[in-house]
Amino acid sequence: MTLAEPAPAGQRSDAPAARAVELRKTYGSGAATVHALAGITVTFDRARFTAVMGPSGSGKSTLMHCMAGLDRPTSGQAYVGSLDIAGLDDSDLTQLRRDRIGFVFQSFNLVPTLSAGENITLPADLAGRKVDRDWFDYLVTQLRIGDRLSHRPTELSGGQQQRCACARALINRPDLVFADEPTGNLDSNSSSEVLEFMRRSVTEFGQSIVMVTHDPRGAAFADRVVFLADGDIVDELAAPTADSILEHMRTLG
Amino acid sequence: MWRVTLKGLLAHKLRLALTALAIVLGITFIAGTFVLTDTLHNTFTSLFGNVYQNVDLQVRGVAQLGSSGGSATRNALPQSLVASVRAVPGVAAAEGSVQGLNVQYVSPQGKAISTGGAPNIGVSFDPDQRVSALRLAQGGPPTTPHDVVMDLGTAQKYGFKVGQTVRILLPFAPPADFTITGLARFGTANNLAGATLAAFDLPTAQAILNRVGTVDSIDVVTSPGADKARVQRAIARILPPGVEVVTGQTVANEQTSAINSALAFFNTALLVFAFIALFVGGFTILNTFSIIVGQRTRELALLRIVGASRRQVFRSVLGEAAVVGLLSSLIGLGLGVLAAMGLEALLGAFGVTLPSGPLVFEGRTVVVCLIVGVGVTVVSAISPARRAVRIAPVAAIAEQQTEADIPLRRRFTWGAGITLVGIVALAYGLTKPLIELVGLGAVLIFIGVARLAPAVARPMSSVIGRPMAGMLGMSGRLGRENSMRSPRRTAQTASALMVGLALVSAIAVFGASLSGSAVSSINDALNADLIVTPVSNVSGAVPNAVVPVAAAAPGVTASSSIYTGKFELKGELNTLTATSTKDLSKTVNLAMAEGTSGSLAAGQLLIDTTTASAKNLHVGNVVPVTFAETGRSTMRIGGVFKANALIGRYLVSDGFYRAHYASTELPVAVLLRTDGSPTAEAAVTHALSGYPNLKVQTKAQFEQSQRAQVNQLLGLVYALLALAVIIALIGIVNTLMLSVFERTHEIGLLRAVGMRRRQVRAMIRSESVILAVFGAVIGIVVGTGLGIALSSSLRSQGITDIVVPVSSLVVFLVLAAVLGLIAASWPARRAARLDVLAAIASE
Ligand SMILES: Nc1ncnc2c1ncn2[C@@H]1O[C@H](COP(=O)(O)OP(=O)(O)O)[C@@H](O)[C@H]1O
Ligand SMILES: [Mg+2]
Repeated sequence: MTLAEPAPAGQRSDAPAARAVELRKTYGSGAATVHALAGITVTFDRARFTAVMGPSGSGKSTLMHCMAGLDRPTSGQAYVGSLDIAGLDDSDLTQLRRDRIGFVFQSFNLVPTLSAGENITLPADLAGRKVDRDWFDYLVTQLRIGDRLSHRPTELSGGQQQRCACARALINRPDLVFADEPTGNLDSNSSSEVLEFMRRSVTEFGQSIVMVTHDPRGAAFADRVVFLADGDIVDELAAPTADSILEHMRTLG
Repeated sequence: MWRVTLKGLLAHKLRLALTALAIVLGITFIAGTFVLTDTLHNTFTSLFGNVYQNVDLQVRGVAQLGSSGGSATRNALPQSLVASVRAVPGVAAAEGSVQGLNVQYVSPQGKAISTGGAPNIGVSFDPDQRVSALRLAQGGPPTTPHDVVMDLGTAQKYGFKVGQTVRILLPFAPPADFTITGLARFGTANNLAGATLAAFDLPTAQAILNRVGTVDSIDVVTSPGADKARVQRAIARILPPGVEVVTGQTVANEQTSAINSALAFFNTALLVFAFIALFVGGFTILNTFSIIVGQRTRELALLRIVGASRRQVFRSVLGEAAVVGLLSSLIGLGLGVLAAMGLEALLGAFGVTLPSGPLVFEGRTVVVCLIVGVGVTVVSAISPARRAVRIAPVAAIAEQQTEADIPLRRRFTWGAGITLVGIVALAYGLTKPLIELVGLGAVLIFIGVARLAPAVARPMSSVIGRPMAGMLGMSGRLGRENSMRSPRRTAQTASALMVGLALVSAIAVFGASLSGSAVSSINDALNADLIVTPVSNVSGAVPNAVVPVAAAAPGVTASSSIYTGKFELKGELNTLTATSTKDLSKTVNLAMAEGTSGSLAAGQLLIDTTTASAKNLHVGNVVPVTFAETGRSTMRIGGVFKANALIGRYLVSDGFYRAHYASTELPVAVLLRTDGSPTAEAAVTHALSGYPNLKVQTKAQFEQSQRAQVNQLLGLVYALLALAVIIALIGIVNTLMLSVFERTHEIGLLRAVGMRRRQVRAMIRSESVILAVFGAVIGIVVGTGLGIALSSSLRSQGITDIVVPVSSLVVFLVLAAVLGLIAASWPARRAARLDVLAAIASE
């Protein structure tokens, strides 16, 4: 099978970027059973910026991990494009993550022995693929890290590190980027920079992004907010603003 | 605090096990060596006690040359003395006996029977079982000149039965067939540590061993109730000069101590390798504890914050080391006993059947193993413990983890200083020569170089890793970066392998120089086309009857026999060589530096250039000499020849030799010159077809076999050094495991962004190969230096050519890389199996 659907922008199939159907993830057994995901069904559209919110322990990270091929659901299906990833083995999942998904984590995003530039091209290098130089230059210029490329991660500020992580997430032009609290450790200035870049990448070249966040102001950059509680979707909000999100959170309690 | 130590240990069982393994292996080696040699010692003591238990007194020649123990040279006694001794009041029985070497059985398949160089002994069979060392197990004693009693060991191994005929190769007569009348044990043993034994009646034995009319010794049993001391004095009164009478106990003690000094050498040699293994193990311990202290910086700092004193932290680390050392030593002791049993079985498999006895487990073995095991572990942990003490309490809350380390400059100064002291000690030890000082020098050089290694670790890893990055892409790239990450860790891990490879390389250089020198000097000295030598080159000789047969073969134009014998020169025990003078120049090329080779025929002594300069001797000097059979006299030095491995240091004519070694005169080799016809070799081989104990070689084959002998020895040393290399590899495994554990998160991240398992494995393997090659490169450089130093210092002993066996060294390097790959397999698998999610989540 081939995982890489030929997917230059604009020619992609009509399938949504990713989709979960009746996704269930259970930890433990008996009295100690925890339903991290309680049969969740959700669709993430193409060229859309979706924020996932919810209290701690509501299953946000678990949802992301199961949909990104980092973890296996107990039952249900997860699709990336039209590909059901439940049937993939470790090798195929690795290739899927490398070629079709981008990641930004809350911290420890970069390999300490590689320079910033090498970290950005890491997925391409792992695939043994030539880096699209124009694309690379565009990303580092947009993210204002062009003068930091030869530095090691320890020599970068937290904001610069997260911007490198963003560039790395996008370098392979993935179908979908998952970001798990990417601004959780950043001050508000750095946060805005990262969030503005993500917003632009959705608007300007149709990137699909799913971002987990606690911050209503961050979620306000998204096109749509999905609210999770106890492993299922309890509500959602289109074209959110910080105020409307706060309002919603209050009503949800 | 003690509880913290124990908890720390139990929390990391794997780490504990890997660290312990290095010590366990070393201690196993030591314990095994002690148990084996103690057991052998015990066995031989009781064996000889048993053999001589009924012999009250023994009459024998006074020791002539050198030592006076069981291996001394003694002259034969006139057979008439037996009757005189028998007539002494209080003597119940007295039997003369003879014994000699090179009495060799031919197997049913036509092969000469020999066990790994053990002697082939021929003896007279004492009809009186009281004085006989042989105990008949089956059949009866030999009574005719065609009878033989065979040792039970040989009979069992080759399926000989009483009544069968066996062909025997004899030293002073052509091969002959004998009827086996009985099978015997030597005391309680089926044979004497692999030696074969053929017993004949006394007249036959005398004829076979060239002892007609003489006996080697007379064993005496005193009458019941007689005062043994008084009988001994009475016998002593009738003995001619040069003959003595001693108690059976004395003889047993001498035999035992002769075996024991051989065992002591064996013991020391094995212990040297055991200590090398432990020394390498020490590096592994040092490294592991350094990494552990590094990884536990936060925890240790926290302990300091809550009130642990520096001393408590220090003791906690050393305590952990002591527990590891103690456990490893105990396990090692147990395994050592198993290893001794295994070794004994292995020797048995080679045909060296040892008299069975219980394994001897001395208290000393336990004490030495515990002290050494705990000692090495604790001493190795001192430096990491001191580093732990330097951890500031704030490290517990600090963002950045910085490892406390000695400044590079100080480390460099120390390293260079220790290396220099080591070089001086080594050089002085080599010139003296003082073997202990050589060893100390080598140890200091290793420690010094290990301290210097971190300074070059980064650039060297970078260079070594470059091709890997080129070949393996990102995986190789990351492996290289990881190896450059902590120069100290890389250097310490590599240092263990450095020591192992340095020793291997030093031995390789030494061996190549040794065989190179031997071959080139033999090449220069040998004019003969064919060389006849015994198959077993340890104790064998060429039967006398062979010389005329070989010389008469078609195509042979000249022949000379080479003999060797012991003598004293200026009171010092030496070995001389003798050769026929008639066709000397046709078979041997003596490059004379002084005098002429013609002086040989005049009964003069020729010496080699090395001896001449060492003893400051010149042509015309007259030196005092002593021969066992003929006593003291003087010899004139008639010439000095260029040193060569074929002849050795002293040379006399065969005529002179026959006059002074009448009873033992057997060539060790026969050199033949041919007319150059290609059929000559086949003709000689055919003429000697009745002698399966001999081999005929061309000059090229002879050189090759000289080389092979050195290589065989090298192989043995390599095998013994293998343990040190294995321990060094365990060190690499250990470091990689700890690194993988430390980089869990990083590996998880790499996996998340698309690194395949295969690529993870390649990354860890690259790092391992870099570590191994780094250690190997330093080791080979240091070892080549050591080997050259060692070989140069033995120039006067005949090592004239210094040969650096480049191809062998390259093989070592490649082998090190392969071993690095093997060492990486487990850590690489572990890294590849890491649960991506768990790795990412462990924030
Ligand atoms: N490996 C695990 N073992 C057991 N329970 C887990 C594991 N991972 C997550 N959980 C549980 O699943 C639930 C959802 O976790 P998570 O997806 O991390 O929540 P969030 O990211 O929204 O804070 C929580 O109750 C958490 O305790
Ligand atoms: Mg989470």
